[in-house]
Amino acid sequence: MKAHTIACVLALAAAVAAQDEIHAYKAARIWPAGGSPVEQGVLVVVGGKVAAIGGADTAIPEGAKVHDLGSAVITPGLVDASWQRTGSPEDRNEQSSEVTPHMRAIDAWDPLDPQVVRARKGGVTTLHHTPGNRAVIGGLGVVVKTTPASAPTTLLKDDVSLRITMGAEPSMGNRAIRGGSVDSIYYRRPTTRMGVVWEVRRAFSKAQDYQQRTIAEGSPADPAMEVLVRALQGKVTVITTARAEQDIRTALRLADEFGYKTAIDEGVESHVMAEELAAAGATVMVGAPSADRVSGAGGSDGAEPRWSTLSRLATAGVPFVVTTGGNAAALPLAQEAMFAVRFGLTPELALDAVTLRPARLLGVDDRVGSLAPGKDADFVIWSTDPFDPTAVATAVHVNGTRIQD
Amino acid sequence: MNKHLIGAAIAAALSLSLAAQDTVFVKGGKVVTVSGPVIENGVVAIANGRITKVGPADQVEVPWDAQVIDATGKVVMPTWVLAHSQGSLRSANENMQNVPYVSVADAIDPSSTFFEDCLRNGVGTIHILPGNATLLGGIGMIVRPAGRTVEDMAVRTRTGLKLSLQAQGGARLQQVRRMRRALEEIREYLADFDRRKAEFDKEKAAGAIPADKQWTEEYDRLKKPGIDLVQKKLKGWMYVPSSAEVDEALRLAEELELAIVVGQDVEKAASKLARFKAPVVLDENLEYWTRDEETEAERKVCTAKVLADAGVGFALSLGAGGPTSYPWWQLATCVRNGVDRKVAIESLTTVPAQMLGIGDDVGSISEGKFGNLQILSGDPLAATTWVETVLLEGKVAYERSKDQRLQYLLKAPEPAPAKPANTGNGGD
Amino acid sequence: MSIPMTSSFRILAAALAAALIASQASAQDVLVRAAKLVVSPDLVLENGELLVRSGKVAYVGSEIPAEARQRATKREWPTATIAPGAVVAFGWLGQEEALGERATAFTPELRAADGFDGTTEAVRKLPAEGVTAYGLAPSSRNVVAGIGALVKPAGEFARIPADDLFLHLSVVKQARDQERWPTSIMGAADLLRTTFKAAANPVSGDTRLRPFREAMQGQRQVFVHANTLNELTVALDACTQAGIAPVVVGAGDAAKCIDQLKAARARVVLGTASPDAKVAQLELPAKLEAAGIPFAIAGEPSTLRWSAALAVRHGATRRTALSALTRVPAEMLGMQDRIGSLRAGCDADFAVWSGDPVELTSELLAVYVDGEERHVKDAAQAAKEKN
Repeated sequence: MKAHTIACVLALAAAVAAQDEIHAYKAARIWPAGGSPVEQGVLVVVGGKVAAIGGADTAIPEGAKVHDLGSAVITPGLVDASWQRTGSPEDRNEQSSEVTPHMRAIDAWDPLDPQVVRARKGGVTTLHHTPGNRAVIGGLGVVVKTTPASAPTTLLKDDVSLRITMGAEPSMGNRAIRGGSVDSIYYRRPTTRMGVVWEVRRAFSKAQDYQQRTIAEGSPADPAMEVLVRALQGKVTVITTARAEQDIRTALRLADEFGYKTAIDEGVESHVMAEELAAAGATVMVGAPSADRVSGAGGSDGAEPRWSTLSRLATAGVPFVVTTGGNAAALPLAQEAMFAVRFGLTPELALDAVTLRPARLLGVDDRVGSLAPGKDADFVIWSTDPFDPTAVATAVHVNGTRIQD
Repeated sequence: MNKHLIGAAIAAALSLSLAAQDTVFVKGGKVVTVSGPVIENGVVAIANGRITKVGPADQVEVPWDAQVIDATGKVVMPTWVLAHSQGSLRSANENMQNVPYVSVADAIDPSSTFFEDCLRNGVGTIHILPGNATLLGGIGMIVRPAGRTVEDMAVRTRTGLKLSLQAQGGARLQQVRRMRRALEEIREYLADFDRRKAEFDKEKAAGAIPADKQWTEEYDRLKKPGIDLVQKKLKGWMYVPSSAEVDEALRLAEELELAIVVGQDVEKAASKLARFKAPVVLDENLEYWTRDEETEAERKVCTAKVLADAGVGFALSLGAGGPTSYPWWQLATCVRNGVDRKVAIESLTTVPAQMLGIGDDVGSISEGKFGNLQILSGDPLAATTWVETVLLEGKVAYERSKDQRLQYLLKAPEPAPAKPANTGNGGD
Repeated sequence: MSIPMTSSFRILAAALAAALIASQASAQDVLVRAAKLVVSPDLVLENGELLVRSGKVAYVGSEIPAEARQRATKREWPTATIAPGAVVAFGWLGQEEALGERATAFTPELRAADGFDGTTEAVRKLPAEGVTAYGLAPSSRNVVAGIGALVKPAGEFARIPADDLFLHLSVVKQARDQERWPTSIMGAADLLRTTFKAAANPVSGDTRLRPFREAMQGQRQVFVHANTLNELTVALDACTQAGIAPVVVGAGDAAKCIDQLKAARARVVLGTASPDAKVAQLELPAKLEAAGIPFAIAGEPSTLRWSAALAVRHGATRRTALSALTRVPAEMLGMQDRIGSLRAGCDADFAVWSGDPVELTSELLAVYVDGEERHVKDAAQAAKEKN
């Protein structure tokens, strides 16, 4: 009898605990990303994961806490594929050498950075935090979630990308210090675009040699070479920052030469060569479409921005994402997507560009990027359609938990 | 007698037909008058540059030969009014600090892309003033964004004297002291002038001065604007950079006729500004983050919302570039932060019109006002809305279909001809 | 003229000699007594006594042999409290420039003891602040900075009883020099990890890695200087991966990662606290105490008591605050058998306070280092203050 009572109590406790984990959200519209929005949608979350998503007739499990959100709109948590706002420029750029592939952006990460909090309040739940653009080959990026301050950083994927930079930016500051000693670390190649490209070629050539050697001789590991070899093998996503047309072209050429695939970050003039990009299957990461000025430490590289970039890429079938990128004047990501709509993208495409597509690019779409059964329950409740400039993110959930800020 | 009648009749007929050519009817759109109700299917009639009638389509007759602009499916609004701008000024600030005598009329560049952007964004009236970096900056004027010369563009001249409490390479307090000193100097000059005149009159009355010598002195031309300011004959437009200077501005507002333009850090002085009893102009930074020094937590502040909550009226400004240069973005920012939509729209229409003293001419669609209209493709606060047409005093000043720069930006360029495959390595 | 060696003379000579020997022996011992004797923060003796012999604490309290007690010179402070002299766990005594090599960030063999100038006023003034031992570190300008030492004030010249103590690492801003590798925290993190990895590799013949191997085998303490959350994370991750429980110096953002510190079995050395500091900073000692993370208070010697008093004011216990100045830093330096407490066998380093040593109203009456009086409150000054 006593055992039975205890079992009942335990079962009740378990049921109560489980009850806390089941939530159903009813909203006027749900954008799951990767498809059309659902009117009068229902989102069911169990244990921090999406259990079901559908229209008004979606089955809601027993014991679920139902949240009737009225006219609110739900979208997946946004994914910023080019986050360059955490960590000082000094800390995200190792200046002692031009080629530092083994530097890791996770070592320059502050989860409590106010910029991260701001992004989260604006509906961004996943960030791709990368090294800066001052080195030719800057290092490894990491995908993190903008989890609550009290919890440790949720690392979604480490060492996910390798950053390469074309153009004037990596060669800035490289020269002999006037009147000073020539043993400064800045007195070195490259000081021109040619030098920048030469560095990339040299690095990958050495990596190819290294690849042969280690197979043959079992020599000790060189961390820099190891990373480059992984890039050659397609085990990390190579992202090349290139703004002007000539730099984008060079980036594609280098990738072709060494047999790796690259995405293009910024890609300000990508609209001029959309067909080539489509042929190369290179994803363009368009940064801050709202900005009237191209931003970069080295200036604009002579790149001329257009508002038509995104629609041109869409028409030509070039894969693309929208990010905040390296532009200090960038608006919160949701509003950048809104500007993408203003400049001609459909709302579905614009939302995909800040959710599912970046998740796919970074290889984390099994967990985030859209609201589908089995994925993490990272979602945002908006006061109205997120492409309405008066919309506000009223609640942000990560892993099903609402984040109180 | 008959001849006169016929002559009169002919004259009348002629003037009628002429009038018909100066008359424009904008019909079919949703008319947001701002001062009155929204008219779903409305007609706005403009003649000789001014609105003659506004009403629902079934209440306003459109003559068969009238010039009609079809706004079906669109939104018709008054053009936006900017109470304070440095747009188009090649150099907004003089190097010398005390230059009340310079005028923006000499610095406005009619060919500036600023005016092109104004039309593109539906701005129809701009009050241009010198910048914020000069103590007594110079005289402003109100312009329309269309015309070949400054004279063509002028709506009102000598509209105000720009003042600024922004610290120039020194402490805040120094700029306040400089301002007080500058005004004191003007008053001293006036007192001295009056004293000399009184002396002259006295001596003349005493018969000491020969009859052919008259008091012909006039105020120093260079000092005149400052004198007009002190004598309340000219409105001062004072830039108040932060809450620390608000007290001084309020004190000066008691002596002068002042309009206040506030910088970003207005949050802490909102209740003080309520004592000013007139709307203030906000600068273009409507939204910013402040950090609590102790907890390091950040908080978003919207200057418009702070003022709205404190019961202070405000007019908006536009930035020089980027999203803050778009009226729709600035308005949406206000609404996003909780400002009432109606109050937001008024901050770019009726409120600045009142502040500029041209409330009878611009700011809303009502009889008697200028035919300054913008026809929008949709809701003025929506991201997908574009300005299709702008009428300034009844004349079409902008049409999006003919906007080459916009087409250049928005239309995708022709794809580059296919390049031959790259055969070898080596630089290009 | 020769002295006749009569038996009475011999007896007198022997007696004189014995008296001489006895008087010499008693001249070396000093019996110290005070109203309160803090042997260590958890052991306080009322009307406590200890016997100083040859610079060490020979006996404490009831263990003092009667004979020695009798023969010893008495030094008594009837109303005072005697506590162990303060031990500063980490610092440069104003000589950071001299204690670092700027050309490279990797200087594991550099010893602070070699670069130290023991004749400076900063050292001589230590006793006047109640400090009897000081953990001297190499400059934090280098990521792998070198080996620390123990310095003790001793009159004209300082003494260095131990010159091969802790291994000092640093990832703070000054270690990221824009003129040489590493310029970024990514580089600093990589340098630490690579070094630990190389040290773990038994094949590596680099003798410079010996201190690292000793650290990884628990034979040498590692101090790591880190302040921001980013720096702390990098430092703790690197140490944890190498199996090292570090002493974290600075730890400005410790409040944001208490759990990480605890998991890494880290101890903390805090710098000078200031009354204008943020509340989060002032409450940090109490937070560390509550989490069971041992901490020492270091910084400017003249500010040690302020820091301790502020810690108490913001929630730390007096015992923990006193430990932070004595026992804990001694343990961090691995010298707890000699300094940081007044147990038998420890160095005779003690401070005489007019009241509670952590209380700001207490005056420092005297300081002894290695049994020698190194500071005494000036009688003339005392008279002047009275008037």
